[in-house]
This record gives sequence, structure tokens and C-alpha cells, in this order.
Amino acid sequence: MELSRRTLLAGSFAAVAAAATGCSSSMDAGAGKKNTTGNLALWCWPGGLGKSVVDDTVAHFPDQHIKYTEIGGDFKQKLLTTINGGTGIPDVTGIKGEDIASLLPQAERFVDLKSVGADSVLGDYLEWKVKQATTLDGKVIGLPIDIGPTALFYREDVFAKAGLPSDPAKVGAQLKTWEDLLAAGLELRKANPKAPIVADATDMFGTIVNQGTERYIDKDNKFIGDQDHIRRAWDLAVKAITTKVEGRTPGGTPDWNAGLDQGTVPTVTGAAWVALDIKAACKTSIGKWRVAPTPGGPANFGGSFLTITKSAADPAAAFEVIKYLLSPDNQAKAFADAQIFPATPAAYDKPQLKAADPFFGGQATIDVFGPAAKNIPIAYEAPLDAAVAAPYTAALKSVQAGSKSSEVAWQQAVSQAKQIGKRQGVQ
Amino acid sequence: MTLTATAPPRSTGTPAPGRPRKSIWSYWRFYLALSPFYVLFAVFGLYPVASTILLAFQKWDGLGPRQMVGLQNFRFLIEDSTFWLSLWNTLVLFVMSTAPTLTIALVLAVMLNSAIRFKGVYRIAYFIPNITSLVAAAIFFAAVFSTNFGLINSGLRALGLPTEDWLGQPWGIKIAISTMIVWQWTGYNTIIYLAGLQAIPTEQYEAAKVDGAGPFRTFFSITLPQLRPVVLFTVIISTIGGLQTFTEPQVMVGETGGADQSGLTTVLYFYNTAFRANDYGYAGAIAVSIFLLVLLFTAINWRLFRGRSTE
Amino acid sequence: MNRGRGILLHVLLTIAGLLCLFPFFWTLVMATNTTSDIYRYPPKFTFGSQFDDNVRHVLENVAFFSSMANTAIVAISTTLLVLFFDSLAAFTFAKFRFPGRKTLFVVLLATMLLPAQLSVVPQFQTMVAFGWVGSLKALVIPAAANAFGIFWLRQYFQNSVHDELIEAATLDGCGFLGVYRHVALPSARPALAFLGIFTFVASWNDYFWPLIVLTDPDHLTLQVALSSLNKAHGVDYSMVMTGALLAMVPLVIVFIVFARQFIKGATEGAIRG
Repeated sequence: MELSRRTLLAGSFAAVAAAATGCSSSMDAGAGKKNTTGNLALWCWPGGLGKSVVDDTVAHFPDQHIKYTEIGGDFKQKLLTTINGGTGIPDVTGIKGEDIASLLPQAERFVDLKSVGADSVLGDYLEWKVKQATTLDGKVIGLPIDIGPTALFYREDVFAKAGLPSDPAKVGAQLKTWEDLLAAGLELRKANPKAPIVADATDMFGTIVNQGTERYIDKDNKFIGDQDHIRRAWDLAVKAITTKVEGRTPGGTPDWNAGLDQGTVPTVTGAAWVALDIKAACKTSIGKWRVAPTPGGPANFGGSFLTITKSAADPAAAFEVIKYLLSPDNQAKAFADAQIFPATPAAYDKPQLKAADPFFGGQATIDVFGPAAKNIPIAYEAPLDAAVAAPYTAALKSVQAGSKSSEVAWQQAVSQAKQIGKRQGVQ
Repeated sequence: MTLTATAPPRSTGTPAPGRPRKSIWSYWRFYLALSPFYVLFAVFGLYPVASTILLAFQKWDGLGPRQMVGLQNFRFLIEDSTFWLSLWNTLVLFVMSTAPTLTIALVLAVMLNSAIRFKGVYRIAYFIPNITSLVAAAIFFAAVFSTNFGLINSGLRALGLPTEDWLGQPWGIKIAISTMIVWQWTGYNTIIYLAGLQAIPTEQYEAAKVDGAGPFRTFFSITLPQLRPVVLFTVIISTIGGLQTFTEPQVMVGETGGADQSGLTTVLYFYNTAFRANDYGYAGAIAVSIFLLVLLFTAINWRLFRGRSTE
Repeated sequence: MNRGRGILLHVLLTIAGLLCLFPFFWTLVMATNTTSDIYRYPPKFTFGSQFDDNVRHVLENVAFFSSMANTAIVAISTTLLVLFFDSLAAFTFAKFRFPGRKTLFVVLLATMLLPAQLSVVPQFQTMVAFGWVGSLKALVIPAAANAFGIFWLRQYFQNSVHDELIEAATLDGCGFLGVYRHVALPSARPALAFLGIFTFVASWNDYFWPLIVLTDPDHLTLQVALSSLNKAHGVDYSMVMTGALLAMVPLVIVFIVFARQFIKGATEGAIRG
């Protein structure tokens, strides 16, 4: 008993002391043991990389003993916890597009790809995408796996029935701006009240923000979420609500999934990978979907990176692996594998992307996505961007529910966003 | 060790009444019997708890250096209207889900205990919600409450009644979330009560029968008093669990909590703050406040339900 | 009990049972159909013919049986340790008086109150310090005794184990462990059955901590392995549901085995014997 009581007390002292100094281990940059297993550990999430591409890469580098792990669930949390723990950190890991901005301040935990020869290939990748993984002082920590250029997915049959243009070229010509889309929505509503042209106003708001060159926080760490570019997106979304051309059906809900096939969700404004979700949910409407350019111009949603951690046993060799894995040829293959949309324009001319897609009535969707990918506006995304953006979505949901007026909701969103920013030093 | 010194005769400890006072060493068997939990907690639990509490006074982005900021996180917390809203949501959802869960569970358990046939079949049925995959349950309940294609609205439509946008309206969200919680935990508590009912000697019921007591009087004069420690247990556990509601709103209305953030519970807010906004220090302050809230409610419940029968 | 009341009783119990079973039934429907069938309108409530295909896909994508073996090792050893350690501690709390008893119990309750999510980083660091990262030990040892079970059994022991029985056993020459074995354990069978079932279920379904602490892709638990079926986009829900369903089967078996302990006659026989 004496022993266990002493252990208990000693243990509690040790615990408090360790907690108090807990920072010391995580403070030395890029801490963590080098991987000495002789394998090259590669982490990504399910569906993050093309299966045939990974298999081929593993076979192509037999000396590296690549060990590929697909981590389901909360990938980022597993990665952060492991890095904090300092043991078992992978040599190469995927990082999702929505997480890259918040990890840039921790760039010293990752290998600057320029130091291992990335300069020779960076030109192959879309400039705006590489910029997302570039720190303000010019370090590049990730090579793009894919991008998420948006388009307007729409039901050709629903449009035709309502007297709207249904051919992709004509749809693109008529629905150039969001105002055009909302006007067409009024027409569609008259002909078919069950088919609101905007599935969900909050999703639409997010798209419009992504079309801009400015977001919520600027490079000087100043809050700009109360300015015109955000307000414009807000007003357009509210207009969709008040003119009743939106369906309050957020992507991924059962209503959305059922509505895709039923025709009550006649359009989806989303990234190239949304095609996977639409295809999974549709059975009777195969061949009736088409793709047109996004009203208001192209935007990007998601798209991820491969990074090399400071624990990598041999960063130069690891870079050779990811260079091969993410080459234009392999990006085209990954698209064929799982609609992983290439971040290298050279891939857009490959047969895998040029192929006509029967789901889209034989349309070659690259004709829409290709030009969109090259024209994505470059916007600075602050580490806190996602956190500051959340209140706007929440407030728009209140406008949708009719429980708050647009003006009250806007004020609330701005003040909440400011408060979140203030907590972490945004002016 | 100083324990003998800090335990002077008479002042501390609770020597059994009527027995001669004994040296602390004579209790060694009891301490040894208790030790596994406390040793494991000291080794595996104490450091994480201390670290979380410390985090509440720090600023940390999850990866970089930690920085002491004193009480700043708590000052923000007091001004943070979203935090207070999340507390309100948590309490409302707690009442809306726990009260029906425990009441229905108790009734079901008593009924099941008096049923003679098919007991095993019912037990399995009530156990099933606890092992049904959460993904399946989430898809199912979202489908039940959907606006266009949902089962409830289909039913309302068939009856010619107006439909409701359940998951788009603040109160609809609360009803949908608490329905899912009630579904998930009623059977679990039924099985707890059922186990508790087994400890009541049959003779007491027979005696009541001889006295001519009906089922209701039997329930209130024998079943409930005898079940008191078990009821206290379920109330405390439901309080701890209910005030930490998180998964159900997350899977049903997403991380914003839906319209008016009606489904944003405090733990969901905590989760967003840590893992979405990377503000781990502030999340630590929220965690500590959740701890205090649960502590307060547990203490209240303990007093309310403990009553005279337990010592 | 008269006949009318008996029927009413069964009607109510059956309604409650059906409500409990409905989402499970839905899982079955999803597992036997394709994903696009799930979203059909009007909803499809009949079993389809895709079950074999779905099972095959699950087995192709996941090392199902080896993961299940790992999960079984973890769940069985955790349950046995919990039953032993918790019952011993609970019996002590419920029936004996000793200095510091109240304080220790309050500490025990307090450990249940902190939300667990934030602790993951320091917990992982602890495992690093022990060198248990990637090992099943990291799942079993920290979970080998818990406040929940001690609290539950203590509440149960208070009423079910009578002081006279303990005194009688002591007079018969039983020591502390003897009383525990011959008096406490037999009379707590329903309570132990409950604790056993739910410890097993919790351990079997635990997902978050194993995901963090297990590292070797060839050495995972079932829930972690199944989580890789959730692709980032275009999730094949019918396959996910099939995996969930297959993982449930052992739980139902364990429940049926343990639930026999709820039968009252067996309990009383044990006390008298």
C-alpha cells in the first residue's frame, strides 16, 4: 500500500510538472524521431489517392519499401496527435485543402520541397494551387494531389421541361452571373415549383466567396469579413432565399441525395469531385446530368497536398516518390481511378480526361473543368479563415429558417466572426 | 509517508461505529482492493486531466509552442454569446431527452419484469439500439425528419396535415436530436433497471400482494424505494452523458448546429473550437466550464435523489 | 394478473421493441441493396439481392477476420479485467468503512466528469513514453478498471448484498476475499452481466482512441479497419452498412450469452447454495 500511495503521489507530481513543461518537447521545431524502420511510411485518407497509382508507385520504388496507410475518420487529428507525440510520424502525408492554411504557420515541421529539388517540377502545377502551400516567406511544403474546380451540374431534362436552355453551351451563355441564375430560378419555379434552382443558399454563399480574390482576413492579419465582397455574397444568398428559388437542402442530406435522382435538386454548384456523390445517389437519372461553367466564374473547393515531414528518413528520396506519384501521367490515371481531378494542366489533354462520360450524356466534362481550373482566382487564405467563416453559414441558416432578418443575422455573423478573430490576434 | 500523521484519531476517517478504532494499516485489504482503478488513473488519467486544465490558461494552435495567457480565455468566455447559447441548448436538450428516456425505461423495465413470456426476445430488441451503427442511425433519423422525402412528413401529408421543415427550424432540430437520443438510450437504461429489479426479493412482492396492494401501490411502496440506488446511478450517468451531448447533433444538423445554432451543444462548440478553429486553449477553457457544469448538476442530482435510504 | 392486462402489456412491450428495432431493420435493408436504392423515393423497405456482393466488397477492402481477432482479444481481456477490478472495488466501497472512503469515492466520480476529447494528445504522449504506440496494450491496460463500473456495482451491492450475509460468512471463517467470492459475486450476477455486456460493447465499438494509437495497417481493430470504407466522396453506404452489420453479429451473441444471467432463479439459487 505504501508503495502504491507513494507512486500515486509521485505520479501526480510528475504529471503536473510534465503538463507545465509539456511545451518543451513540442517547441523544438520539427521534433520527433526520424523514421528508422527502413520503410517509407505514406499516409492518406480513403479515396485520397488513386489506387492503381499507389500500387504502381510502390512497385516502381522497390528499394523504398513504401508502406501505404489509409486512415479513415478524422485524419487531421490523427496526424496532429502523432506529430505531437513524436513517434511513428509518417515520412510522407496527405494534407487536405481545408487544413493547409492552418498548418502553414507550422511549416518548420515539414520539409521545404524547394530544398529537395522541387523547383524543376513546380511549374507543372497550377500556380494558384502551389501558392496555397507556400508560406509568406516562400517555403513550399506540399505538392498538389488534386484540385476542386467548380461547375454547375444540372439536370438537362428538368431545364428543358421548364423551357430553359438545356445544352451546356447555351446554359453557360445564359447563366453567366448569379443574377442570371436567380432569374432563371424564377422561371423554373413557375414551371416546376418542386425544383428550386439553388439547392441550398448557404452552399451558394460559400461558392461566391470562393470566387473572389479576397476572403475574411487579409495578408496584414486584418479582418475584412464585414466588407463589400462578403456582403455581396451574403445579399445574393439572401435574395435566393427571399425569392424562394432555393430549397434549403444542404449537400449530403437525405433530401439532397434523393432529390438528385428525383429532380427536386436540379442543379449542384460544386467541385469536380461532387460528381462522385451525384453518381452514387443516382439510378434513374443517369445520362440526364450535364455540366456548365459556374455562374459568376470559376471557384475552387478543396484539393489536397502531399507533404514530407521532418521525420522522413531520406527527404530527397521521399521527394522522388511523390514527384513520381503526382506526375501529370499519374494524375490522369488517378482521375480515371476515382475522379481525383489533376492539378497539372498537362494532364487535361490525356485520354482519361478527354473521355466522354455517359453519366453526363456523353459530355467530356474537361471542356468545362479544364478552363475553370486554369482561371481560379488567387486569394490569400489566412490560417484562421475557416474558423472565421463559420458564423456566416450559421447565420444564413437562421435567415433560411425565417427566424432572423437578413440584417440582424448579418450583424450577428460579423460580430461573432470578429470575436473569433480577436481571440487569436486578428485586428 | 505522511498519511498516518495527517489522520489524527477521531478527526478524519470514518471508523465504523461501535467498533474499536484501528490503525490505518489494518485496512490494507480495502485499499488494495481499490488500488487498481486509482493506480491506472494516476498513471494514465492524471496527466491528461492536468494537461487539459492547464490548456485553459494557454494559447495553443495544436502544433506550435504553448503560451501562457492567464485568465484571458475565461474573459473571452464570459463575453462569448455563442458559448452561453450553447449552454442553453445543452440544458434544453438534456431535459428533453433525459426525462423521457428514464421514465420510459423504468416503465418498460417494470413491465418486462412482470411479463412471463418472450422476456429474452424483448431484451434483445431493447439492446439493439446500443449496437446499431451510428452512421446507420444518423442516416435513418435524418431520413425520418427530412422535409421532402421524410417519413414523418409523408405521414403528415397522408393525413392532410401541414408538414414541417424539421431539420431547418430551431425547435424541429431540438425535437429531432432528442428523439434520436431517447431512441439510443432508453433500452440501455431499461436493461440497467431490469438488473436492479432482480435484486428486490420476491418475498416483498408476495407480502404486498397478501396486503392487497395493487400494481401502482406496489410500484411506489416497494419497487421504487428498493430501486433507489440504481435510479440514482442512471440519473448521474445520464447527467454526465446528457450534458456532454455531441455526436447526435453533429451527425444530424452538422457542426454549425443548424438554424439559430439550435443544435450547437457546449461539447460540439468545444469540438469546433479545438479541431476546426485550432484554438485549443480556448477549447480547454470550454472543457473546464463543462466540467464545472456537470459537477454542479451531479451534486444537485446526488442531493435530490439520494434521499434517506442510502447512507 | 388477468388476461386483458397481460395482452396490453405485451402490446406495449412489442411496440417499444419494434421502435428499437426499426433502424436496425433499415441497416439490413441498406446492406442488401445498392447505395442508390437507399435514396429512392418512395423509400425502399424490402430486402434486395445485393447482400452477397456487398459482403464480398467488404472482405475485399478490409482485413475483416484478422481485425476481428484483434478486436476480440481487446474486448475479452478488457471485459474480464473490468469485471474483476470493478467488482472488488465496488464491493469494498459498498460494504466496508475505512478512512478516506468518502474522499476516494468523490474522486472516482469526478474522473467521469471531464470531456475526454481534449485529452487525446497527452494520452498519446503517455503511450509514447511507455512505448505502447501501435500495441493492443494501449487499448486494454488503461481501460482495465473504470469509474462507471465501480459506481454501478457499488449502487447494486448496497441493496442486493445484505450485511447479515456478510456477517454470517465472516462468522463461518470467510476472509475478505472469501466474502467477496461467496457472497458478493453470486448475488450480483445481473449487475455483473450488465457491466460485462456494456464493457464488451464499448470496447468492441471503440473507434476514436484505437484510430489514434494503432499504427500498423496490418494490425488494426475492426472499427478502425471498417472506417477506411468511408471514402472522402461518393461513399458506398450499402457497403459501409454491410460492414457495420457484420461487426454487430458477435455483439448479439455475447448479449444473448450474458443476458441469461438476468434470470432471477439462478441468482437466488446461487445465494442459497
